Amino acid sequence: MIEFRNISKVYKMGEVEFVALKGVFIAVQKGGFISIMGPSGSGKSTLMNIIGCLDTPTEGSYYLDGENVSGLTFDQLSTIRNRKVGFVFQNFNLLPYASAYENIELPMLFNGKKNTERKRRVNELLEMVGLLPWARHRPTEMSGGQQQRVAIARALAMDPPIILADEPTGNLDSKSGHEIMDIFSRLWKEGRTILMVTHDPAIAAFSQSTIRLLDGAVQENGAAH
Amino acid sequence: MRVQLLHLFWNEFRKRREKTSLITFAIAWGALSLLLLMSFGRGLSNAGSVNFKGLGNTLIMVSRGQTSKPYQGLPRARRIHIHMEDLELLKRQIPGIAMISPEANNNHSISYHSKESNRSINGVYPCFAEMRSQVPQAGGRFINDLDQEKARRVAFIGWNVAKELFGGGNPVGKEIRIERTPFTVVGVMKKKQQSSTYQGPDSETVYIPFSTFCQIDFQRFLDRIHIRPADPKDALFMENQVRRILGRKYRFADDDANAVNFWNTIRDYETGAKIFKGIEIFLSIIGGLTLLIGAVGVTNLMYAVVKERTREIGIKMALGARRRHIVMQFFLETSVIFFKGTLWGTLVAFNIVSLVNLIPVGYEDFGIKAYLLRPIFSFDILIIFLVVLCVLVFVSGIFPALRASRQNPIDALRYE
Ligand SMILES: Nc1ncnc2c1ncn2[C@@H]1O[C@H](COP(=O)(O)OP(=O)(O)OP(=O)(O)O)[C@@H](O)[C@H]1O
Ligand SMILES: [Mg+2]
Repeated sequence: MIEFRNISKVYKMGEVEFVALKGVFIAVQKGGFISIMGPSGSGKSTLMNIIGCLDTPTEGSYYLDGENVSGLTFDQLSTIRNRKVGFVFQNFNLLPYASAYENIELPMLFNGKKNTERKRRVNELLEMVGLLPWARHRPTEMSGGQQQRVAIARALAMDPPIILADEPTGNLDSKSGHEIMDIFSRLWKEGRTILMVTHDPAIAAFSQSTIRLLDGAVQENGAAH
Repeated sequence: MRVQLLHLFWNEFRKRREKTSLITFAIAWGALSLLLLMSFGRGLSNAGSVNFKGLGNTLIMVSRGQTSKPYQGLPRARRIHIHMEDLELLKRQIPGIAMISPEANNNHSISYHSKESNRSINGVYPCFAEMRSQVPQAGGRFINDLDQEKARRVAFIGWNVAKELFGGGNPVGKEIRIERTPFTVVGVMKKKQQSSTYQGPDSETVYIPFSTFCQIDFQRFLDRIHIRPADPKDALFMENQVRRILGRKYRFADDDANAVNFWNTIRDYETGAKIFKGIEIFLSIIGGLTLLIGAVGVTNLMYAVVKERTREIGIKMALGARRRHIVMQFFLETSVIFFKGTLWGTLVAFNIVSLVNLIPVGYEDFGIKAYLLRPIFSFDILIIFLVVLCVLVFVSGIFPALRASRQNPIDALRYE
């Protein structure tokens, strides 16, 4: 479902070039649960962003569902981000002045889903993450764990087949972290493909296999748990 | 653009309202100054033309002069007087004359009971009233053709003369004396604004039929001949015709500008109108520049807003927002801010103009008040204003919006 062929990413900062990924080959099957590990700066987030079509590789080709994504326009990539992937970030990235309800609704607004359908879906998701009473609250009024659950609900709004989570538990205590992981396990069992960056072996233990990165290169692929 | 997105944009705008209130205020201020400058400029220009008409509406005045160059062996500096038969001559020889009236005047004592004063007594034809914008107050009239024909002893008096002799009472029908000869007052002049005079304001003058004037005052010359051309466009041409005809009779050069004097209100009015229009345009440009500075400020503030919301833009892009969604949101936001600011500015300007117009302006206030206290807020001002505004909205809205949409989603998400 996800296939990287010789992907490289070079960041230019003025004169200085920084190679964040070099010659990466990976393949992730549908329904996989992969954790991505590696030291800070090894290119984990860069990899995730390219998978999620937030960023484009400098070299190489990326096939998503058999389609080469490399030549697509911004708006075509927007459609992929909207329908095929759901992002969960370490720092939640919720809109501060929107309620939990409005945050979850957002991806559906960009897609033009009907009013009644949006309402049904948002309530369904709020119930799933156990936050129905918090629908009208803003992120600032919620705990980290609750905010991350809103973020997960938002990632699921368009019912995407792929979930990309970049250190989803990084800002949470271990109890909230485990609650989040329970949700991910459930999503995986429902048949979604999950890629998750983490530093924590206990969190990585939830996944099927691990990709280890070092200095932008894949060091180890497929260590099973 | 989908309706639910508009709804989203509106909601976000409402929630961040306080953050844009300064921008709204800047726009309101710019709109207010532009509209006020345009309205006061228009008022100024209007007061200018009203005052010009106070002297006379499309009028050429001819009066005596002195030659400024030798002609056919005659020396310069000869005095040229005009006489009653010149009026007949001009009337015969110039077909384009719509109205013509002689005017002769002299100061005489006038009295009513014990009140006495010395005023300019002017002998004129009935058409003089029309040419010089003199309208009688209700209950009275100007001197008429029969008065002139029968040399009746009737007088039409300026409102200041009426006040002087009668106080608050009604002068019409009363008998006054001019040098001991009894005259019946037939009318009092309605107040008017007048910026130019030649022998004191009309409000302090007494008008009697020309024929009657000849019986009480024995001067040989006319002081002035007033002419109205049938077509105001002929004003200059007619002035030259008059000069030529009189030049032939009194023997002075056609191009001697001082042999007889002309006061051509049509020509004055045209230059005056141009000057006032110039002032009006100048004020509008200043107002426009104020608004432009406002718009530059708004553009900058919108750039700041875009910057402040960078992360939010990144989040939306990650969730599937297209470029045009981002452009639309910021552009619409700028438009709404402009709309709000303009609405306030316009309302305040409109009210100021209305309030200023409530300040009474006396008819003797020929000067500053009449020019400054009668601003006009007209429809075409509003149209020009709105066109200027639309251009500014577009310019200050589109660039920040484009910048917002052209960001790289990753950089936007990493923005602190
Ligand atoms: N937009 C960017 N511009 C310039 N350099 C970048 C950019 N994004 C990432 N980098 C650099 O690329 C390298 C890899 O970054 P990346 O965020 O992928 O690391 P990471 O493995 O996610 O690290 P961490 O565990 O700290 O999140 C880093 O050295 C980073 O400084
Ligand atoms: Mg990272």
